[in-house]
Amino acid sequence: MSAHDTTGTTLINHWQRGVPVYREPVVTPTQIFFAAFAALGLLMAVVRFFSPLARFSGMNDAFAWGIWKTFNVMTLTALGSGPLAIGIAAWVFNREKLHVVMRTALVSGFLFYSTGLIALGFDVGRAWNFYSVLFPWRWNVHSAMLEVSICMPVYCALFLGFENLPMVLERFYYTGSDATRERLQRWAPTVRRIYPFMITGAYILPLMHQSSLGGLLLLGGEKIDPIWQSPVLPLLYVIAAGVAGIGFVIFLLCMGCLRYARPLDLGILSEVGGLLSIVCFVFLAVRFGDLAWRGELGAAFRLDRMSFLFVIETALILAPAVVLRNRAARETPRTLLFMATLACLGGMFYRFVPSTMAFHPAARSIYFPSVPELLISVGYIALGVSAFSLAVKYFAVLPGEIGDWNYMFKLVRKRRAGSVRTS
Amino acid sequence: MSPTINRRQLLLGIVGAGGAVAGGLAQSAVAEDHPAHPVAPADAVSMLYDNTICTGCRACMTACSETNGLPPDTSAGMPLDTALTSGIWDIPADLNSKTKNIIKLYKDPDGTDFGFVKRQCMHCLDPACVTGCPFGALKKDTWGAVTWTSSLCIGCRYCEVACPFDVPKFEWDKWNPKIVKCEFCFDERLQQNKEPACTSVCPTGAVIFGKRADLLSRAKKRIADAPDKYFENRVYGEYEAGGTQVLYLSNVSFQKLGLPKLGATSLGHYATKVTSVIYKWLSGPVLMAGLLGAVIKRNWVRHEAERAEREKETGLRDQL
Repeated sequence: MSAHDTTGTTLINHWQRGVPVYREPVVTPTQIFFAAFAALGLLMAVVRFFSPLARFSGMNDAFAWGIWKTFNVMTLTALGSGPLAIGIAAWVFNREKLHVVMRTALVSGFLFYSTGLIALGFDVGRAWNFYSVLFPWRWNVHSAMLEVSICMPVYCALFLGFENLPMVLERFYYTGSDATRERLQRWAPTVRRIYPFMITGAYILPLMHQSSLGGLLLLGGEKIDPIWQSPVLPLLYVIAAGVAGIGFVIFLLCMGCLRYARPLDLGILSEVGGLLSIVCFVFLAVRFGDLAWRGELGAAFRLDRMSFLFVIETALILAPAVVLRNRAARETPRTLLFMATLACLGGMFYRFVPSTMAFHPAARSIYFPSVPELLISVGYIALGVSAFSLAVKYFAVLPGEIGDWNYMFKLVRKRRAGSVRTS
Repeated sequence: MSPTINRRQLLLGIVGAGGAVAGGLAQSAVAEDHPAHPVAPADAVSMLYDNTICTGCRACMTACSETNGLPPDTSAGMPLDTALTSGIWDIPADLNSKTKNIIKLYKDPDGTDFGFVKRQCMHCLDPACVTGCPFGALKKDTWGAVTWTSSLCIGCRYCEVACPFDVPKFEWDKWNPKIVKCEFCFDERLQQNKEPACTSVCPTGAVIFGKRADLLSRAKKRIADAPDKYFENRVYGEYEAGGTQVLYLSNVSFQKLGLPKLGATSLGHYATKVTSVIYKWLSGPVLMAGLLGAVIKRNWVRHEAERAEREKETGLRDQL
């Protein structure tokens, strides 16, 4: 007997389409708090552009990559890989149910990528020379860094931008004049005609650069602890992006619905949870297969410092893998949210450790981010958070009921009629 | 032969073309850009440093700083009387953005074992920094010198992460930072047919300049002439990370001198052996796009067919 029968509730299809959060004021104290942090971080980042890096970061010649690269880019774009993972499930593996949560994934993915790219722009020391990207004869095609530095901006600006476009056009359609509506009606077939091609590109490109982020570390060679340094790093980086990306979509859906008092659709969440469990198992299979193949299993369980990190990482991914196999667990919001959070942390952990805690340059040196470095890093995240909370209010991002959508329009009409009467 | 092509000929043509492409791919996999064990070209320049001859006079350091126009490096700390004399002290602690070449003295804690070491760029045969550099700012130049071009560098510092010898340094305190490392005095001297500054001034011949093949055989002769004088009876740099153009002979452990224990495979080979096949002519991504695209297109058509029904049922526009 399945769990929802024993609890006496049935699964109701609450998520039918994206519905804007319309009952909340746009500007809230929380929003101001995050916007202030974002402004502070961005302001410092701009100042950093006109100042040597030494004053803004704790980086040094041994740890030449700080948290802007290792966390804001390497780690957080894994969380922003929801559009890749959920998109492939929905459009390639035909999980029809998942279409309704795509917008949540797409907006968050776009924000993780764009803030990551801003981070990269202010991290590099000679950004003005980046124009070389326009001259293919200057490209070093063997460089994973080249692949990442072309593929990531193109994906974010072109493909994620395009995937987020219907949501923006939809707002213009409902808020614009008749002329706008007519123009958008005319554009709609074009958007739909190129849509399947664009989403194909939107899955190929992140598969390429998410693996290349792992590929970057291959050249690190023996500086990176053998528990992580492996020829399968690129593959594991992609799978970890799936783990963290799917986990984060669940996390965001649950938190968004909690915050804005929306019902959860456990049928859909349970499907995403099942998917998460599968990807976690795939990650663990490749991870352990690789360790066994390279004869590093002993080192992985030696229970020293490095092994300890590995055990944490494994536990964080193993728990959701096992627990979410169980249908009752997947349909219990609290368990699902908890497990999704663990998966996010596990995926992030795997993506963060090899370039930081398991990175051992020959020179005895320590790196810890400086206060300005941390503030800038947090600023990018705050920018993402505050942009997301604006997006859910302006656009139909978070999934909700059709009834809610209709009620919103009734309110809008009433308000318009009211304003006409008073004026 | 008839001008029209029948189905059989077309099929054969396709198979033939496919075979040619596959053959080309296999060929390119054999003649790869980053072989596991690169072979030094005949004109590869080299440096041989023998720490049993070095007296630690540091003439090479002065010559290097002078030739390369490097500023005084106070990284080892300012002596107390600086404030009184207002003089400048050049006391580098290690390789950094102001020091491209350094002589250090290693001593065991009990004082039994000691040896000098000269550190500078190793000028690898297949340098990891060059493999990683996105726009070719670092390149393997004539005679194998690894040089840096400021106009191509974006300051990503991947070279610092990649270099197994921790050689490239970044000007953290500059607004317009450069990557600083030994470039074999390429512009300053090599191109004028002069040997690098450090080897030219060495009074004892502890570091000498020559072709790699010559210096390697000279080093091996020194080992053969004095068995067990040198650590492991071998030349460091002959095979390390695929081989380097700077070679070392030492009486103490290379690792104690700060030269890392490395495998004989080039890092460039390790890092690109899989991707160079997948990304050859972008064949992997294109194939993948074809495959995913076909499935997506099929699912898209179905989705669009169901859309009309859905829109009629709910009376709302479908959301993408």
